[in-house]
Amino acid sequence: MTAGAPGGAIGTAPAVPPSRGPFAVPARIRSGWYQRSRQERLALRLLLPVFGLVFVAATIPFVLAVVQALTSDDGRFIGADNFGRALSNDQLFEAIRQTAIYGSVVLPTEILLGLGLALLVHRTVKSRVLRAVIYVAAMIPIVIPQVAVGVVFRLLYIPDYGLINVLLGQTGNSQILWLSSPPLAIFAVASVDIWQWTPFVYLIMFAGLQTVPPESVEAAQLDGATSWTQFRHIELFYLRPLLLLVFFFRLADVLRVFDHVYILTGGGPGTTTQFLSLYLYRIAFRFSDLGQASALAVLVMAFMIVLYTVISRFLPADTSS
Amino acid sequence: MTRIATRLLTWLALAIAFVVFVFPLYYLVVTSLKTHAELFQAVPTLFPRQPTLASYSSLLFDQGFAQLLLNSIVVGISATALALVIAFAICYPITRLPVRPRMRSFVLNWALSLRFLPPIAVVIPYFLIVRTIGLYNQIPALVIVYTIFNLPLSIWMLKGFLEQIPAEVEEAALVDGGTRFQAFRLVLLPLASTGILAAGIIVFAFDWAEFLFAFILTATPDSMTFPVGVQGLVTQFEIIWNDMAAGGVIAILIPLVLMLFARRYVIAGLTFGVIREK
Repeated sequence: MTAGAPGGAIGTAPAVPPSRGPFAVPARIRSGWYQRSRQERLALRLLLPVFGLVFVAATIPFVLAVVQALTSDDGRFIGADNFGRALSNDQLFEAIRQTAIYGSVVLPTEILLGLGLALLVHRTVKSRVLRAVIYVAAMIPIVIPQVAVGVVFRLLYIPDYGLINVLLGQTGNSQILWLSSPPLAIFAVASVDIWQWTPFVYLIMFAGLQTVPPESVEAAQLDGATSWTQFRHIELFYLRPLLLLVFFFRLADVLRVFDHVYILTGGGPGTTTQFLSLYLYRIAFRFSDLGQASALAVLVMAFMIVLYTVISRFLPADTSS
Repeated sequence: MTRIATRLLTWLALAIAFVVFVFPLYYLVVTSLKTHAELFQAVPTLFPRQPTLASYSSLLFDQGFAQLLLNSIVVGISATALALVIAFAICYPITRLPVRPRMRSFVLNWALSLRFLPPIAVVIPYFLIVRTIGLYNQIPALVIVYTIFNLPLSIWMLKGFLEQIPAEVEEAALVDGGTRFQAFRLVLLPLASTGILAAGIIVFAFDWAEFLFAFILTATPDSMTFPVGVQGLVTQFEIIWNDMAAGGVIAILIPLVLMLFARRYVIAGLTFGVIREK
């Protein structure tokens, strides 16, 4: 969980060699309260109580989920039963598969589309006012609640009133059931995600393009670089860390996707849009099987901790000073 | 000639993108302004014939959504204030005082890691806690959970803002004989106020938009938040389209207006300060 972080902002505490084992560094150097400067003691006095409190409050769920998963409803210890039931349920793997399909539709589309739009605006729109307008317009989908996004797309996809069928000339009996026919529903739900988050990718990529030094672009153009080679050899270099960042943020969001799917399809038809979060919801609150749900929650949290540990190595290092 | 053609094509692509992204919102607003009669036209209309705010008053007053609106605002403001105070108490030492790098990066990485936890996995144990201690369907339960889950964002945003204020300004106050608390209150706090306000706006918008926690931890209109109410409009058996659309518009309007004020900081907020807009 540690991305190498540069030092503190004010002054510098005497560098302390990291402990390499219980006996490696004499205790008086490492933890002597009075070895620390007055300021450092002040810092710890301010930091530790508050941080300790929130750390505990945020860690309790994990501990409690483990306890709940290992005991029965009347509090007896039942070992890994709940985990066994969780992992032997075929619907879990169905949910994982559907989530994977959803992610593999949504992530590449959003990233390529967002990147493409950013390049397009960066190359063609020079007017500051117009750029500002696009900036604000692109922010709109991002800041609105997902529940409201669900409402918006209900209005577009629903059979009787939905505008999309009308625009396609499909009314009456030939209506397309976007949200309730198996192969279409997942794409309808994915399209909503794409609508909401492509602008997010756009904004980050556009901001990234502004950091490309104009001199190197001009030099390349003098050398006769085409639009593509300019992107491939110069701009992509500056965008690479941002692409990673966007990918990981979006990946985390895909794994937690719930709100708009719940509103549009409720996980249906059948289980085609029952993604991981909706599956956990169903086990916990529809079937009231809190034991199995806790086991699932533990598994998901453990998986996310592993994923995060891997991810944090690739994220741009802590930004300070 | 080809230059002109490519220019035209790119502008066309941009125009299409603009329509695709803006039109659904337009249609939402239009629907919310329609009368009941107009909803049942065979072909939906693109302009309301007799624009009316009837669906808004029906929603807010006849169906009691005013209470949900109030709940959302109370929860949002309390949770935002709490998150900011806690985040400040954490960020002040790690940005202004000599804290060891290992501790500093531990705190920051811990906060970032919270951002990646899927809420559904966390809400199951929180549901058990809240039910056990008798806070189920109570506003304080939401305030606590929202505070914790917006801490990562609050901490990273405040850290970003505090780092930009040079250490010298406070040191100058200390040299002039002020205490550290005076330096904090009279020098640092005023300088950081814009940043704190921006962080507050963004955190509030996130609290406002939150759905899953509120959906699971509340049950009645006494403590339900606005998005949960809107969800009920969408999934009920017979949907009243204009009321539902009005709910959607209100849900959108509040964060939208706030974000216009904090627009420079939105991207920084969403990416934990990795990207800073000029």
